[in-house]
Amino acid sequence: MEGSRLISKKKCSPTDRPSLRLCKCALKHGPISVVYKVSTNSNGSVFFKKLTSRGPVDKKVIQWLLSLHQIGLDVNRTDRSLEFYEKKENLSKLWDILCLCLDRPRCRLCQGMSDLCSPMIVLLEDEADSFFCFERLMRRLRGNFRSTGRSVGVEAQLTYLSSITQIIDPKLHQHLDKLGGGDYLCAIRMLMVQFRREFSFCGSLYLWEMIWALEYDPDLFHVYEAHQCGSEKVEVSNGKPKSMSQCGKYERQNMRNGGKSTEGRLPISVFLVASVLKDKSSKLMTEARGLDDVVKILNDMSGNLDAKKTCSGAIKIHKKYLRKAKK
Amino acid sequence: MGSSSGQPEFDYLFKVLLIGDSGVGKSSLLLSFTSNTFDDLSPTIGVDFKVKYLTIGEKKLKLAIWDTAGQERFRTLTSSYYRGAQGIIMVYDVTRRETFTNLSDIWAKEIDLYSTNQDCIKMLVGNKVDKESERAVSKKEGIDFARVYGCLFLECSAKTRVNVEQCFEELVLKILETPSLTAEGSSGGKKNIFKQNPAHTSNASSSYCCSS
Repeated sequence: MEGSRLISKKKCSPTDRPSLRLCKCALKHGPISVVYKVSTNSNGSVFFKKLTSRGPVDKKVIQWLLSLHQIGLDVNRTDRSLEFYEKKENLSKLWDILCLCLDRPRCRLCQGMSDLCSPMIVLLEDEADSFFCFERLMRRLRGNFRSTGRSVGVEAQLTYLSSITQIIDPKLHQHLDKLGGGDYLCAIRMLMVQFRREFSFCGSLYLWEMIWALEYDPDLFHVYEAHQCGSEKVEVSNGKPKSMSQCGKYERQNMRNGGKSTEGRLPISVFLVASVLKDKSSKLMTEARGLDDVVKILNDMSGNLDAKKTCSGAIKIHKKYLRKAKK
Repeated sequence: MGSSSGQPEFDYLFKVLLIGDSGVGKSSLLLSFTSNTFDDLSPTIGVDFKVKYLTIGEKKLKLAIWDTAGQERFRTLTSSYYRGAQGIIMVYDVTRRETFTNLSDIWAKEIDLYSTNQDCIKMLVGNKVDKESERAVSKKEGIDFARVYGCLFLECSAKTRVNVEQCFEELVLKILETPSLTAEGSSGGKKNIFKQNPAHTSNASSSYCCSS
Protein backbone atom coordinates (compact mmCIF):
# COMPACT_ATOMS: atom_id res chain seq x y z
CA MET A 1 0.00 0.00 0.00
CA GLU A 2 2.72 2.41 -0.95
CA GLY A 3 0.17 4.47 -2.76
CA SER A 4 -2.25 4.97 0.07
CA ARG A 5 0.50 6.17 2.34
CA LEU A 6 1.40 8.69 -0.23
CA ILE A 7 -2.18 9.87 -0.50
CA SER A 8 -2.83 10.13 3.18
CA LYS A 9 0.00 12.62 3.43
CA LYS A 10 -1.59 14.68 0.77
CA LYS A 11 -3.76 17.44 2.10
CA CYS A 12 -7.14 17.56 0.45
CA SER A 13 -8.38 20.75 -1.03
CA PRO A 14 -10.95 21.38 -3.71
CA THR A 15 -8.36 22.75 -6.08
CA ASP A 16 -5.98 19.86 -6.42
CA ARG A 17 -8.30 16.92 -6.68
CA PRO A 18 -7.23 14.27 -9.15
CA SER A 19 -9.06 13.74 -12.37
CA LEU A 20 -11.60 10.98 -12.28
CA ARG A 21 -10.49 9.83 -15.68
CA LEU A 22 -7.14 8.88 -14.32
CA CYS A 23 -8.64 6.94 -11.46
CA LYS A 24 -10.89 4.98 -13.78
CA CYS A 25 -8.04 4.40 -16.13
CA ALA A 26 -5.92 2.95 -13.38
CA LEU A 27 -8.77 0.68 -12.40
CA LYS A 28 -9.12 -0.65 -15.92
CA HIS A 29 -5.69 -0.82 -17.39
CA GLY A 30 -3.25 -0.78 -14.54
CA PRO A 31 -0.58 1.72 -13.73
CA ILE A 32 1.36 1.83 -16.97
CA SER A 33 -1.40 3.41 -18.93
CA VAL A 34 -2.03 5.74 -16.04
CA VAL A 35 1.48 7.06 -16.35
CA TYR A 36 0.90 7.44 -20.03
CA LYS A 37 -2.40 9.23 -19.58
CA VAL A 38 -0.92 11.40 -16.92
CA SER A 39 1.63 12.71 -19.33
CA THR A 40 -1.20 13.84 -21.60
CA ASN A 41 -3.26 15.50 -18.92
CA SER A 42 -2.22 18.39 -16.77
CA ASN A 43 -4.92 17.98 -14.15
CA GLY A 44 -3.52 16.10 -11.19
CA SER A 45 -0.67 14.78 -13.27
CA VAL A 46 2.17 15.39 -10.86
CA PHE A 47 0.25 13.71 -8.14
CA PHE A 48 -0.42 10.69 -10.28
CA LYS A 49 3.11 10.38 -11.49
CA LYS A 50 4.22 10.22 -7.90
CA LEU A 51 1.50 7.76 -7.05
CA THR A 52 2.15 5.33 -9.86
CA SER A 53 5.92 5.50 -9.73
CA ARG A 54 5.76 3.46 -6.54
CA GLY A 55 4.20 0.42 -8.15
CA PRO A 56 0.68 -0.90 -8.81
CA VAL A 57 -2.17 1.14 -7.43
CA ASP A 58 -4.34 -0.65 -4.93
CA LYS A 59 -8.04 -0.92 -5.75
CA LYS A 60 -8.90 0.59 -2.41
CA VAL A 61 -6.81 3.58 -3.28
CA ILE A 62 -8.66 3.99 -6.52
CA GLN A 63 -12.00 3.74 -4.78
CA TRP A 64 -10.75 6.35 -2.41
CA LEU A 65 -9.77 8.62 -5.26
CA LEU A 66 -13.15 8.20 -6.93
CA SER A 67 -14.83 9.18 -3.68
CA LEU A 68 -12.54 12.19 -3.41
CA HIS A 69 -13.61 13.24 -6.83
CA GLN A 70 -17.27 12.90 -5.92
CA ILE A 71 -16.72 14.97 -2.78
CA GLY A 72 -15.25 17.70 -4.95
CA LEU A 73 -18.33 17.66 -7.17
CA ASP A 74 -20.73 17.76 -4.23
CA VAL A 75 -18.90 20.31 -2.11
CA ASN A 76 -18.95 22.83 -4.91
CA ARG A 77 -22.71 22.49 -5.17
CA THR A 78 -23.79 22.43 -1.54
CA ASP A 79 -25.71 25.35 -0.04
CA ARG A 80 -24.19 27.75 -2.51
CA SER A 81 -26.91 30.28 -1.82
CA LEU A 82 -25.39 30.81 1.62
CA GLU A 83 -22.98 33.69 1.92
CA PHE A 84 -20.97 31.51 4.27
CA TYR A 85 -19.72 29.37 1.42
CA GLU A 86 -18.47 32.28 -0.62
CA LYS A 87 -15.36 31.96 1.51
CA LYS A 88 -13.04 29.35 0.10
CA GLU A 89 -11.87 28.29 3.54
CA ASN A 90 -15.39 27.34 4.56
CA LEU A 91 -15.75 25.25 1.44
CA SER A 92 -12.48 23.57 2.31
CA LYS A 93 -13.82 22.72 5.74
CA LEU A 94 -16.75 20.94 4.18
CA TRP A 95 -14.36 19.18 1.85
CA ASP A 96 -12.01 18.15 4.65
CA ILE A 97 -14.69 16.76 6.91
CA LEU A 98 -16.26 14.68 4.18
CA CYS A 99 -12.79 13.39 3.29
CA LEU A 100 -12.11 12.49 6.90
CA CYS A 101 -15.26 10.42 6.96
CA LEU A 102 -13.93 8.33 4.11
CA ASP A 103 -11.35 6.97 6.50
CA ARG A 104 -14.01 5.64 8.83
CA PRO A 105 -14.78 1.95 8.58
CA ARG A 106 -17.72 0.98 6.39
CA CYS A 107 -18.25 4.56 5.45
CA ARG A 108 -18.96 5.22 1.83
CA LEU A 109 -19.70 8.60 0.54
CA CYS A 110 -23.04 9.15 -1.05
CA GLN A 111 -24.66 12.17 -2.56
CA GLY A 112 -26.73 13.93 0.05
CA MET A 113 -24.15 13.61 2.81
CA SER A 114 -22.78 17.06 2.03
CA ASP A 115 -26.28 18.43 2.70
CA LEU A 116 -26.17 16.82 6.12
CA CYS A 117 -22.63 17.94 6.85
CA SER A 118 -23.00 21.54 5.80
CA PRO A 119 -25.04 22.82 8.79
CA MET A 120 -22.47 21.42 11.20
CA ILE A 121 -19.81 23.52 9.57
CA VAL A 122 -21.96 26.61 9.51
CA LEU A 123 -22.95 26.25 13.16
CA LEU A 124 -19.79 25.03 14.83
CA GLU A 125 -16.67 27.05 14.58
CA ASP A 126 -14.31 24.28 15.51
CA GLU A 127 -13.69 21.86 12.71
CA ALA A 128 -13.23 18.94 15.07
CA ASP A 129 -16.63 19.59 16.65
CA SER A 130 -18.21 19.74 13.21
CA PHE A 131 -16.62 16.48 12.30
CA PHE A 132 -17.78 14.61 15.36
CA CYS A 133 -21.30 16.00 15.16
CA PHE A 134 -21.55 15.00 11.54
CA GLU A 135 -20.06 11.60 12.25
CA ARG A 136 -22.62 10.92 15.00
CA LEU A 137 -25.41 12.16 12.78
CA MET A 138 -24.29 9.68 10.18
CA ARG A 139 -24.45 6.87 12.72
CA ARG A 140 -28.09 7.71 13.04
CA LEU A 141 -28.70 7.98 9.33
CA ARG A 142 -26.18 5.67 7.76
CA GLY A 143 -28.76 3.00 7.10
CA ASN A 144 -30.51 5.32 4.65
CA PHE A 145 -27.46 5.52 2.46
CA ARG A 146 -26.52 1.87 2.50
CA SER A 147 -26.68 0.41 -0.95
CA THR A 148 -26.76 -3.21 -1.97
CA GLY A 149 -26.57 -2.51 -5.65
CA ARG A 150 -30.22 -3.45 -5.97
CA SER A 151 -31.69 -1.13 -3.44
CA VAL A 152 -30.83 1.76 -1.21
CA GLY A 153 -31.39 1.59 2.55
CA VAL A 154 -33.92 4.36 2.57
CA GLU A 155 -36.31 2.27 0.50
CA ALA A 156 -37.20 0.23 3.56
CA GLN A 157 -38.57 3.39 5.11
CA LEU A 158 -40.58 4.07 1.99
CA THR A 159 -42.32 0.75 2.52
CA TYR A 160 -43.31 1.86 6.00
CA LEU A 161 -44.39 5.21 4.63
CA SER A 162 -46.65 3.35 2.26
CA SER A 163 -48.29 1.37 5.03
CA ILE A 164 -48.65 4.47 7.18
CA THR A 165 -50.37 6.41 4.43
CA GLN A 166 -52.64 3.46 3.74
CA ILE A 167 -53.84 3.64 7.31
CA ILE A 168 -53.90 7.40 7.79
CA ASP A 169 -55.09 8.59 4.42
CA PRO A 170 -56.23 5.60 2.36
CA LYS A 171 -57.72 7.80 -0.37
CA LEU A 172 -54.44 9.58 -0.93
CA HIS A 173 -52.60 6.30 -1.04
CA GLN A 174 -55.03 4.91 -3.59
CA HIS A 175 -54.63 8.01 -5.68
CA LEU A 176 -50.84 7.90 -5.59
CA ASP A 177 -50.84 4.20 -6.31
CA LYS A 178 -53.09 4.71 -9.31
CA LEU A 179 -50.67 7.27 -10.68
CA GLY A 180 -47.81 4.84 -10.31
CA GLY A 181 -46.41 6.50 -7.20
CA GLY A 182 -47.29 3.77 -4.73
CA ASP A 183 -43.61 3.13 -4.15
CA TYR A 184 -43.27 6.64 -2.69
CA LEU A 185 -39.96 7.15 -4.46
CA CYS A 186 -41.01 10.76 -4.86
CA ALA A 187 -40.53 11.20 -1.12
CA ILE A 188 -37.02 9.85 -1.06
CA ARG A 189 -35.29 13.19 -0.94
CA MET A 190 -37.02 14.23 2.26
CA LEU A 191 -35.73 11.15 4.05
CA MET A 192 -32.33 11.09 2.49
CA VAL A 193 -31.26 14.63 3.31
CA GLN A 194 -33.61 15.01 6.26
CA PHE A 195 -35.79 17.73 4.73
CA ARG A 196 -32.88 20.02 3.97
CA ARG A 197 -34.35 20.84 0.56
CA GLU A 198 -37.98 21.15 1.59
CA PHE A 199 -37.41 23.57 4.42
CA SER A 200 -35.38 26.76 4.53
CA PHE A 201 -31.90 26.46 6.02
CA CYS A 202 -33.04 27.66 9.42
CA GLY A 203 -36.32 25.80 9.14
CA SER A 204 -34.57 22.51 8.57
CA LEU A 205 -32.22 23.07 11.50
CA TYR A 206 -35.18 23.85 13.69
CA LEU A 207 -36.78 20.67 12.44
CA TRP A 208 -33.65 18.63 13.11
CA GLU A 209 -33.56 19.80 16.70
CA MET A 210 -37.20 18.90 17.11
CA ILE A 211 -36.52 15.48 15.63
CA TRP A 212 -33.65 14.85 17.99
CA ALA A 213 -35.63 16.05 20.99
CA LEU A 214 -38.70 14.02 20.08
CA GLU A 215 -36.67 10.88 19.43
CA TYR A 216 -34.44 11.37 22.45
CA ASP A 217 -33.61 8.27 24.38
CA PRO A 218 -30.94 8.36 27.10
CA ASP A 219 -29.59 5.04 25.82
CA LEU A 220 -28.89 6.44 22.39
CA PHE A 221 -25.50 7.69 23.41
CA HIS A 222 -24.41 4.21 24.45
CA VAL A 223 -25.87 2.70 21.33
CA TYR A 224 -23.87 5.00 19.11
CA GLU A 225 -20.71 4.63 21.12
CA ALA A 226 -20.86 0.86 21.50
CA HIS A 227 -21.22 0.20 17.83
CA GLN A 228 -18.87 1.43 15.22
CA CYS A 229 -20.39 3.31 12.38
CA GLY A 230 -22.31 1.22 9.91
CA SER A 231 -23.89 -1.08 12.47
CA GLU A 232 -27.46 -2.24 12.14
CA LYS A 233 -30.30 -1.19 14.36
CA VAL A 234 -29.48 -2.31 17.85
CA GLU A 235 -31.50 -3.39 20.79
CA VAL A 236 -30.41 -1.77 23.98
CA SER A 237 -29.67 -4.46 26.48
CA ASN A 238 -27.98 -2.86 29.41
CA GLY A 239 -30.74 -4.02 31.68
CA LYS A 240 -31.40 -0.95 33.76
CA PRO A 241 -34.87 0.35 33.37
CA LYS A 242 -34.97 3.81 31.94
CA SER A 243 -37.37 6.38 33.10
CA MET A 244 -39.97 7.33 30.56
CA SER A 245 -39.77 10.96 31.52
CA GLN A 246 -36.22 11.11 30.22
CA CYS A 247 -37.32 10.24 26.71
CA GLY A 248 -38.62 12.46 24.00
CA LYS A 249 -42.30 12.59 23.21
CA TYR A 250 -42.07 10.38 20.15
CA GLU A 251 -40.04 7.81 22.00
CA ARG A 252 -42.52 7.84 24.89
CA GLN A 253 -45.36 7.11 22.51
CA ASN A 254 -43.41 4.17 21.20
CA MET A 255 -42.62 2.92 24.69
CA ARG A 256 -46.21 3.06 25.74
CA ASN A 257 -46.97 0.96 22.73
CA GLY A 258 -44.53 -1.73 23.69
CA GLY A 259 -41.59 0.02 22.16
CA LYS A 260 -39.71 -2.92 20.82
CA SER A 261 -41.87 -3.56 17.79
CA THR A 262 -40.55 -2.80 14.32
CA GLU A 263 -42.60 0.35 14.17
CA GLY A 264 -41.08 1.32 17.47
CA ARG A 265 -37.71 1.63 15.80
CA LEU A 266 -39.03 3.67 12.92
CA PRO A 267 -37.49 7.11 12.80
CA ILE A 268 -39.90 9.98 13.20
CA SER A 269 -38.85 11.27 9.79
CA VAL A 270 -41.14 8.72 8.15
CA PHE A 271 -44.06 10.23 10.03
CA LEU A 272 -42.85 13.69 9.13
CA VAL A 273 -43.06 12.76 5.47
CA ALA A 274 -46.52 11.35 6.09
CA SER A 275 -47.40 14.64 7.73
CA VAL A 276 -46.14 16.62 4.74
CA LEU A 277 -48.09 14.38 2.39
CA LYS A 278 -51.22 14.79 4.48
CA ASP A 279 -50.73 18.51 4.41
CA LYS A 280 -50.55 18.42 0.62
CA SER A 281 -53.24 15.77 0.40
CA SER A 282 -56.01 17.90 -1.07
CA LYS A 283 -53.65 19.48 -3.57
CA LEU A 284 -52.37 16.06 -4.58
CA MET A 285 -55.88 14.68 -4.85
CA THR A 286 -57.23 17.49 -7.01
CA GLU A 287 -54.23 18.58 -9.05
CA ALA A 288 -52.09 15.51 -9.55
CA ARG A 289 -53.10 13.61 -12.64
CA GLY A 290 -49.81 11.91 -13.23
CA LEU A 291 -46.69 10.99 -11.35
CA ASP A 292 -45.12 14.09 -12.85
CA ASP A 293 -47.62 16.31 -11.05
CA VAL A 294 -46.91 14.53 -7.78
CA VAL A 295 -43.18 15.07 -8.06
CA LYS A 296 -43.75 18.66 -9.09
CA ILE A 297 -46.04 19.43 -6.15
CA LEU A 298 -43.61 17.83 -3.71
CA ASN A 299 -40.54 19.47 -5.19
CA ASP A 300 -42.14 22.87 -5.48
CA MET A 301 -42.78 23.19 -1.78
CA SER A 302 -39.07 23.83 -1.24
CA GLY A 303 -38.40 26.27 1.52
CA ASN A 304 -41.97 27.07 2.51
CA LEU A 305 -42.95 24.40 4.97
CA ASP A 306 -43.50 25.04 8.64
CA ALA A 307 -41.32 22.88 10.88
CA LYS A 308 -43.44 23.14 14.00
CA LYS A 309 -46.65 22.32 12.20
CA THR A 310 -45.06 19.39 10.43
CA CYS A 311 -43.76 17.99 13.72
CA SER A 312 -47.05 18.20 15.54
CA GLY A 313 -48.70 16.67 12.49
CA ALA A 314 -46.22 13.81 12.60
CA ILE A 315 -46.87 13.18 16.28
CA LYS A 316 -50.61 13.06 15.66
CA ILE A 317 -50.19 10.68 12.74
CA HIS A 318 -47.90 8.52 14.81
CA LYS A 319 -50.48 8.28 17.59
CA LYS A 320 -53.22 7.46 15.14
CA TYR A 321 -51.05 4.92 13.38
CA LEU A 322 -50.14 3.11 16.60
CA ARG A 323 -53.77 3.03 17.60
CA LYS A 324 -54.99 1.73 14.27
CA ALA A 325 -52.12 -0.63 13.67
CA LYS A 326 -52.90 -2.37 16.94
CA LYS A 327 -56.37 -3.31 15.79
CA MET B 1 -55.95 23.87 -16.32
CA GLY B 2 -57.34 20.98 -18.26
CA SER B 3 -60.87 20.35 -17.15
CA SER B 4 -63.04 17.32 -17.07
CA SER B 5 -64.57 18.45 -20.36
CA GLY B 6 -61.87 16.32 -21.92
CA GLN B 7 -60.38 19.21 -23.89
CA PRO B 8 -56.70 19.22 -22.91
CA GLU B 9 -54.49 22.26 -23.24
CA PHE B 10 -52.01 20.50 -25.49
CA ASP B 11 -51.98 18.18 -28.47
CA TYR B 12 -49.14 15.98 -27.39
CA LEU B 13 -47.46 15.10 -24.15
CA PHE B 14 -43.99 13.69 -24.36
CA LYS B 15 -41.88 12.28 -21.60
CA VAL B 16 -38.21 13.15 -21.81
CA LEU B 17 -35.50 11.84 -19.51
CA LEU B 18 -32.15 13.43 -18.71
CA ILE B 19 -29.35 11.04 -17.78
CA GLY B 20 -25.59 11.22 -17.39
CA ASP B 21 -22.84 11.39 -14.79
CA SER B 22 -22.96 13.43 -11.63
CA GLY B 23 -22.17 17.08 -12.16
CA VAL B 24 -22.40 17.26 -15.94
CA GLY B 25 -25.14 19.85 -15.70
CA LYS B 26 -28.38 17.97 -16.27
CA SER B 27 -30.34 20.07 -13.81
CA SER B 28 -28.73 23.27 -15.06
CA LEU B 29 -29.59 22.37 -18.62
CA LEU B 30 -33.18 21.79 -17.61
CA LEU B 31 -33.39 25.01 -15.63
CA SER B 32 -31.81 26.91 -18.49
CA PHE B 33 -34.42 25.48 -20.85
CA THR B 34 -37.51 25.87 -18.68
CA SER B 35 -36.84 29.19 -17.02
CA ASN B 36 -34.02 30.86 -18.95
CA THR B 37 -31.86 31.11 -15.88
CA PHE B 38 -28.58 29.71 -14.72
CA ASP B 39 -28.04 29.16 -11.06
CA ASP B 40 -25.88 27.25 -8.60
CA LEU B 41 -27.87 24.10 -8.11
CA SER B 42 -27.61 21.46 -5.42
CA PRO B 43 -26.93 17.88 -6.47
CA THR B 44 -30.15 16.14 -7.45
CA ILE B 45 -31.35 13.55 -4.97
CA GLY B 46 -33.50 10.91 -6.62
CA VAL B 47 -35.37 12.69 -9.38
CA ASP B 48 -36.62 16.12 -10.19
CA PHE B 49 -39.15 17.16 -12.71
CA LYS B 50 -40.12 20.14 -14.84
CA VAL B 51 -42.71 20.93 -17.46
CA LYS B 52 -42.26 23.02 -20.56
CA TYR B 53 -44.85 23.96 -23.12
CA LEU B 54 -43.72 24.33 -26.69
CA THR B 55 -45.49 25.15 -29.90
CA ILE B 56 -44.03 23.55 -32.96
CA GLY B 57 -45.81 24.24 -36.21
CA GLU B 58 -49.41 24.27 -35.14
CA LYS B 59 -48.97 21.62 -32.55
CA LYS B 60 -49.05 22.46 -28.88
CA LEU B 61 -46.72 20.26 -26.91
CA LYS B 62 -46.29 19.57 -23.27
CA LEU B 63 -42.87 18.27 -22.37
CA ALA B 64 -42.57 16.43 -19.10
CA ILE B 65 -38.87 16.40 -18.43
CA TRP B 66 -37.45 14.12 -15.77
CA ASP B 67 -34.11 15.02 -14.33
CA THR B 68 -32.35 12.12 -12.67
CA ALA B 69 -29.54 11.98 -10.13
CA GLY B 70 -26.26 11.03 -11.73
CA GLN B 71 -24.61 9.23 -8.88
CA GLU B 72 -24.26 5.50 -9.09
CA ARG B 73 -26.00 4.94 -5.80
CA PHE B 74 -29.26 6.29 -7.17
CA ARG B 75 -29.31 4.24 -10.33
CA THR B 76 -31.56 1.55 -8.93
CA LEU B 77 -34.05 4.25 -8.05
CA THR B 78 -33.94 6.14 -11.31
CA SER B 79 -34.29 3.06 -13.49
CA SER B 80 -38.06 3.03 -13.13
CA TYR B 81 -38.27 6.45 -14.71
CA TYR B 82 -37.08 5.20 -18.09
CA ARG B 83 -40.46 3.58 -18.54
CA GLY B 84 -42.51 5.13 -21.26
CA ALA B 85 -40.06 7.89 -22.15
CA GLN B 86 -40.28 9.03 -25.76
CA GLY B 87 -36.99 10.84 -25.58
CA ILE B 88 -33.79 10.32 -23.62
CA ILE B 89 -31.07 12.94 -23.44
CA MET B 90 -27.62 11.68 -22.49
CA VAL B 91 -25.57 14.54 -21.12
CA TYR B 92 -21.82 14.73 -20.71
CA ASP B 93 -19.41 17.46 -19.75
CA VAL B 94 -17.05 18.38 -22.60
CA THR B 95 -14.38 19.32 -20.07
CA ARG B 96 -14.43 15.97 -18.26
CA ARG B 97 -13.57 13.08 -20.45
CA GLU B 98 -14.77 10.37 -18.08
CA THR B 99 -18.32 11.69 -18.30
CA PHE B 100 -18.13 10.98 -22.02
CA THR B 101 -16.60 7.51 -21.78
CA ASN B 102 -19.17 6.57 -19.13
CA LEU B 103 -21.89 7.10 -21.70
CA SER B 104 -20.88 3.97 -23.57
CA ASP B 105 -19.69 2.14 -20.44
CA ILE B 106 -22.74 2.82 -18.36
CA TRP B 107 -25.51 5.02 -19.65
CA ALA B 108 -26.13 3.47 -23.05
CA LYS B 109 -26.42 0.13 -21.27
CA GLU B 110 -28.89 1.58 -18.80
CA ILE B 111 -31.06 2.68 -21.70
CA ASP B 112 -30.97 -0.80 -23.23
CA LEU B 113 -31.88 -2.32 -19.89
CA TYR B 114 -34.66 -0.05 -18.78
CA SER B 115 -36.17 1.79 -21.70
CA THR B 116 -39.46 0.21 -22.66
CA ASN B 117 -39.82 2.16 -25.86
CA GLN B 118 -38.07 0.59 -28.80
CA ASP B 119 -38.45 3.67 -30.97
CA CYS B 120 -37.47 6.06 -28.21
CA ILE B 121 -35.38 8.94 -29.56
CA LYS B 122 -31.96 9.30 -28.02
CA MET B 123 -29.94 12.45 -28.00
CA LEU B 124 -26.35 13.09 -27.04
CA VAL B 125 -25.58 16.48 -25.53
CA GLY B 126 -22.15 17.81 -24.66
CA ASN B 127 -22.60 20.53 -22.06
CA LYS B 128 -20.33 23.34 -20.82
CA VAL B 129 -18.96 24.48 -24.19
CA ASP B 130 -18.48 27.89 -22.58
CA LYS B 131 -15.31 26.41 -21.06
CA GLU B 132 -13.71 25.96 -24.45
CA SER B 133 -10.17 26.21 -23.10
CA GLU B 134 -10.76 23.23 -20.81
CA ARG B 135 -12.31 21.07 -23.46
CA ALA B 136 -11.35 17.39 -23.16
CA VAL B 137 -13.76 15.83 -25.66
CA SER B 138 -13.72 17.00 -29.25
CA LYS B 139 -16.85 17.66 -31.22
CA LYS B 140 -15.84 14.96 -33.68
CA GLU B 141 -15.80 12.35 -30.92
CA GLY B 142 -19.31 13.36 -30.00
CA ILE B 143 -20.43 13.06 -33.60
CA ASP B 144 -18.81 9.65 -33.91
CA PHE B 145 -20.48 8.41 -30.74
CA ALA B 146 -23.84 9.64 -31.94
CA ARG B 147 -23.36 7.84 -35.24
CA VAL B 148 -22.51 4.55 -33.54
CA TYR B 149 -25.42 4.71 -31.12
CA GLY B 150 -27.86 6.18 -33.58
CA CYS B 151 -28.67 9.31 -31.70
CA LEU B 152 -28.94 13.02 -32.33
CA PHE B 153 -26.07 15.20 -31.22
CA LEU B 154 -25.53 18.78 -30.09
CA GLU B 155 -23.06 20.69 -28.00
CA CYS B 156 -24.46 23.34 -25.72
CA SER B 157 -23.91 25.50 -22.69
CA ALA B 158 -26.52 25.75 -19.98
CA LYS B 159 -24.66 28.81 -18.73
CA THR B 160 -24.64 30.88 -21.91
CA ARG B 161 -27.79 29.16 -23.20
CA VAL B 162 -26.09 28.37 -26.48
CA ASN B 163 -28.00 25.57 -28.22
CA VAL B 164 -30.09 24.82 -25.14
CA GLU B 165 -33.43 25.27 -26.85
CA GLN B 166 -32.19 23.51 -29.95
CA CYS B 167 -31.41 20.41 -27.88
CA PHE B 168 -34.98 19.95 -26.85
CA GLU B 169 -36.49 21.16 -30.11
CA GLU B 170 -34.49 18.79 -32.28
CA LEU B 171 -35.44 15.94 -30.01
CA VAL B 172 -39.10 16.86 -30.13
CA LEU B 173 -39.08 17.26 -33.92
CA LYS B 174 -37.67 13.79 -34.24
CA ILE B 175 -40.26 12.39 -31.86
CA LEU B 176 -42.97 14.07 -33.92
CA GLU B 177 -41.62 12.35 -37.02
CA THR B 178 -41.97 8.95 -35.39
CA PRO B 179 -45.55 7.72 -35.71
CA SER B 180 -45.39 5.17 -32.90
CA LEU B 181 -44.22 7.84 -30.47
CA THR B 182 -46.72 10.48 -31.49
CA ALA B 183 -49.49 7.93 -31.10
CA GLU B 184 -48.41 7.37 -27.51
CA GLY B 185 -48.02 11.01 -26.70
CA SER B 186 -51.16 12.22 -28.40
CA SER B 187 -53.80 13.45 -26.01
CA GLY B 188 -56.43 11.31 -27.63
CA GLY B 189 -54.14 8.35 -27.46
CA LYS B 190 -54.31 5.02 -25.81
CA LYS B 191 -56.63 4.53 -22.94
CA ASN B 192 -56.07 0.87 -22.51
CA ILE B 193 -54.07 -1.08 -19.95
CA PHE B 194 -54.48 1.80 -17.56
CA LYS B 195 -55.96 0.69 -14.29
CA GLN B 196 -57.83 3.90 -13.89
CA ASN B 197 -61.55 4.36 -13.57
CA PRO B 198 -63.26 5.81 -16.63
CA ALA B 199 -64.03 9.14 -14.99
CA HIS B 200 -60.32 9.92 -14.93
CA THR B 201 -59.24 8.71 -18.30
CA SER B 202 -60.08 11.89 -20.14
CA ASN B 203 -57.66 13.75 -17.94
CA ALA B 204 -54.95 11.20 -17.92
CA SER B 205 -53.87 12.19 -21.35
CA SER B 206 -50.35 11.16 -20.83
CA SER B 207 -47.82 8.54 -21.60
CA TYR B 208 -48.42 7.04 -18.19
CA CYS B 209 -51.37 5.37 -19.80
CA CYS B 210 -49.04 2.76 -21.09
CA SER B 211 -46.73 2.58 -18.18
CA SER B 212 -48.59 0.32 -15.83
